[in-house]
Formats: sequence, structure tokens, C-alpha cells
Amino acid sequence: MFDAYALRAQFPLLARTPALIYLDNAATTQKPLQVLDAERHFYETANANVHRGSHRLAVAATDAFENARSSVAHFLNARSSNEIVFTRGATEAINLVAHSWGAANLQAGDEILLSTLEHHANIVPWQMLATRCGAIIKPIQLLRDGSLDLEHFHSLLSNKTKLVGLTHISNAIGSELPIAELINSAHHYGAKVLVDGAQAVAHKIIDVQALNADFYVFSSHKAYGPTGIGALWARSEILSSMPPWQGGGEMIERVSFSQTSYAEAPARFEAGTPAIAQTIGFAAALDWLQAQDRVAIAQHEHLLRLQLELGLSQIEGIRLIGNALQKGPVVSMAFTHAHPYDVAQFLDAREIAVRVGNHCAQPLLASLGLSGTLRASFAAYNTHNDIDTLLAALSETLELLA
Amino acid sequence: MNKAEIERKLAGAHGWEGKNRLLVQLARDLPPLPTSELNDANRIVGCESTAWLTIGWQQAQIQLAADSESRIVKGLLVLLIAAYQGKTRTEIQAFDCEAWLISLGLTRFLSASRGNGVKAIIGKIYDAIGEAQH
Repeated sequence: MFDAYALRAQFPLLARTPALIYLDNAATTQKPLQVLDAERHFYETANANVHRGSHRLAVAATDAFENARSSVAHFLNARSSNEIVFTRGATEAINLVAHSWGAANLQAGDEILLSTLEHHANIVPWQMLATRCGAIIKPIQLLRDGSLDLEHFHSLLSNKTKLVGLTHISNAIGSELPIAELINSAHHYGAKVLVDGAQAVAHKIIDVQALNADFYVFSSHKAYGPTGIGALWARSEILSSMPPWQGGGEMIERVSFSQTSYAEAPARFEAGTPAIAQTIGFAAALDWLQAQDRVAIAQHEHLLRLQLELGLSQIEGIRLIGNALQKGPVVSMAFTHAHPYDVAQFLDAREIAVRVGNHCAQPLLASLGLSGTLRASFAAYNTHNDIDTLLAALSETLELLA
Repeated sequence: MNKAEIERKLAGAHGWEGKNRLLVQLARDLPPLPTSELNDANRIVGCESTAWLTIGWQQAQIQLAADSESRIVKGLLVLLIAAYQGKTRTEIQAFDCEAWLISLGLTRFLSASRGNGVKAIIGKIYDAIGEAQH
């Protein structure tokens, strides 16, 4: 039997603030003790720079760092740890692909399809690329329920399509896209697909081989790990053909003033000293997550969402934003008479942490005719009591603001 | 409502919830800006809510008018207007608005997190003094 309270006890911040109801997990999750310990343990026992020393500490640091790469590969069911590039997060991973693969493969007139659900991180790097190379960005529309308009998607696909950028789960309204199916369709036209998995990895079991994606990116901190670290997974034949994007140490094979040759992937994409301790914390988070009953967690988070959505439908003046059949543990809402910021302030006074605003998805909010929503997003340590408390607080707050 | 009255009311409001309620009440005292003033030039962008501020001068005294989508932000605007309305440049420069808000127990609205834009509003008033001097 899954016990969210027992899980919550593993998170020092939550244990320290028993009254806190933390429902901003789509922004970042809290970190279990195991992750904090892993970073501290590294600094206390194995701190050295990686990949360049032959002394025993350097060897220990390099081993720990490269084991972390294997943990990420294992977590995604990648064929090899050489398919994993460490980045500062999902945002940097998308920028890497746009700069390196994008610049080498796209030219004027080529098309990039992006779903209307995308976070700015999966829009702006492509716009910057399009400005440089003359490619064209085409948004894929949504249906009224917030799911992707598959008919529109298919109508946009053509031999001009070079890249399709898709979020696995929408950070703003929770819609989950049928990624495997969409990838399959895109591949018929020879297009590559980049999946933004930032909101998916903490909640779903990810198998990049089964998805048959070309690029999958995510951030550690939304999956119980440290900030400042994340990963790009790319199919090895694509990754090995990509030119470097940042120059420096670590990414070279040989340097002279007349000519420099580059290291193989993934080192080619990791210039400079990496975030070593964070990487080790990242792996500890993924190992921690994989040691949990992930099916039970997904079921628990699903039930939390249904409980909240049902409760909201019984409160006057609240409209659920995003009714897609498949959703991640994200609930967005708008109010008839109140501004989301005001509601969030009253919730905050009761130690309920939610997010309001456009969720870095302004094109999506514009397509919904909204300037902002209030979003509650869940993690494994949230409880049914959290939802009851939120519902009661929402109900009282809306009465007060009526 | 004048500054002293606001100070007295806020002192009587208990906790965050009480202060939030008071700000919502104060919001009713803020006359709305005409729609024509709700433009980009007057817009102050917070990540979570938007406010509009117009600044004019009458015989070297500042004339402020403001509006927001959020009632809590409107309440904060009532405070700022009570503090600044009709003041001269020298008076504005001599007044430490952030310290005043902190003394009223409203520190949390001064965060660098771009939630409500109170800091941006104070900044815009200071900018206006600078421009008026030239």
C-alpha cells in the first residue's frame, strides 16, 4: 500500500514545515535526504575535477560522474550512456540541439512544427534558429479540451518538416501528448522529433527506445534532484554527427593554434568543468525515484488530480482549464470573479503554495483567451488531505473575493 | 484615505490573511483608470498580475493614478498613492517607501520575485522624479 506520509518524511524541507502544502511541483519538486546526502558525500569523500587527473581522487570523481551518466541512461532506457549529454537543464538541452543540430541541418524554407502547448523553452530557441537560417515555425493547434489537434498536426506535416518540438506533458494545463504516435507520423516525413520531458520524468516511466524519439530533454530539479543540471538524450547516430556548440576544455581531442579536433560525443558537448556534485545528486534522485513503486506513485498522483478536479466542479466560480483525457498531475483553473494572483495570496496566507500566471507559455494562454491561471501541481509526497485543505481554502477565498 | 489612517488600519489587521483582506477592502477606494490609460506605456508588468500607473505633475506636485487586475495589488496602489500623492520631488526623495511598507508588515510584497510589481511601481515613481529634474 502506497503511503504518501511515509514518503513525505524523507524530504527534510517538508518534515521541517509540517503545515506546508506544497503544490508547485511543476516548477520544482522538493528533494529527498538521499539526494542531499549524495552531494555532501561527494564533496566530503571524492571532490576533484573530472576527466583530467590521474590521482585517486580525480579517478573517484570521474567514476562517480560517469556512473551518474549511466544512471540517467538506465532511467531513460537509452541504448548507451554515450547518448546522454549533461546540460544545465531542459532549456539548455533544447538550445544545444537548436544551435548544433539545427544550424547544421536546417535551411531557409524548412519547417519546424511546435505544439501550442509548448513552454517558452521549446519555442524561443527555435525562433532564434529560424531567424538565423530562414526556417519557418508553424504552431500545431489544440482542440477545445487542451489536447493536440491531430488532424491539424497531420495537415502540417510535409517533406519540408525538419523538426517537430513536443512537450510530453504540458506544464501549464497538464495535457499529455500521444508522443509515440506523433513521432511515428513525423518520421514518415523524415522529420526529427524533440520531446520536452521536463514535466513527465517525475511521473511516468520513460523509455526513449519505445518512444522512438530523436531527442528527449529534461531537468533534474523537476524530478526530485538538484537545480542547475539536466540531460539531453539523443539517438547516438544523430549525436555523433552533430557539431560542437560551445568551445573549451573537456570537449576537445587536440588543440593547436592552427587546428583543433573535437572529442567524440557526449564529451564534445560538455565544454568546461561540469556541475559535478549536482550531477551526482541528479543520479541519486533518479536512483531514489526508481527504487520507489512508480506505478503506485502514478496512480496516487492521478487520484489526487481527480479528487481536485471533482472538488473544483462543485465550487461556484471556478473553471477547470484543460480537460484532455490524458493528463499529468497538473490542474489549472480560472475564476469568474477573482484574479488568480489574489486567490494565490490568500492561499499563501494559509501555507498553500501554488503558481499563478502564464506559466512561461504565453502562446498557449493567448490561444485559451486567458492572461493567467492558478495551477496546482502534484508530486508523490502530496496527500489527499492537501487537496481537501486546498479545496476548502479555495471555497472560502472565493466567497471573500466575490 | 490618508497615510495615517492606512497605518492605523494595517496595524489592526492580524496576520497575512487579515492584511490581505484589508488590501482587498482598500482596493474599493481606488477609482478605475479610464480604458484609454490602460495601455502599454503605462503598464507595469508583474509575472502574475498587471498594473497601470500614470504620473503627472501639478505645480511641482506629483499626481498619481493607477489600476490593476488584482484587488490586492489595487490595495497596495492605494497605499502607494496615499504615500506619494501631491508630494514634491524633494519630499519623494526623502521618503523611504520600502522601509514604510516593511514597517506595515508588507515585506513579502517587496520580493524580487516578479509577482506583483510593487518594486517596479516605486522604481517608476523614482524614474519620474529624475526625468522631471531635467
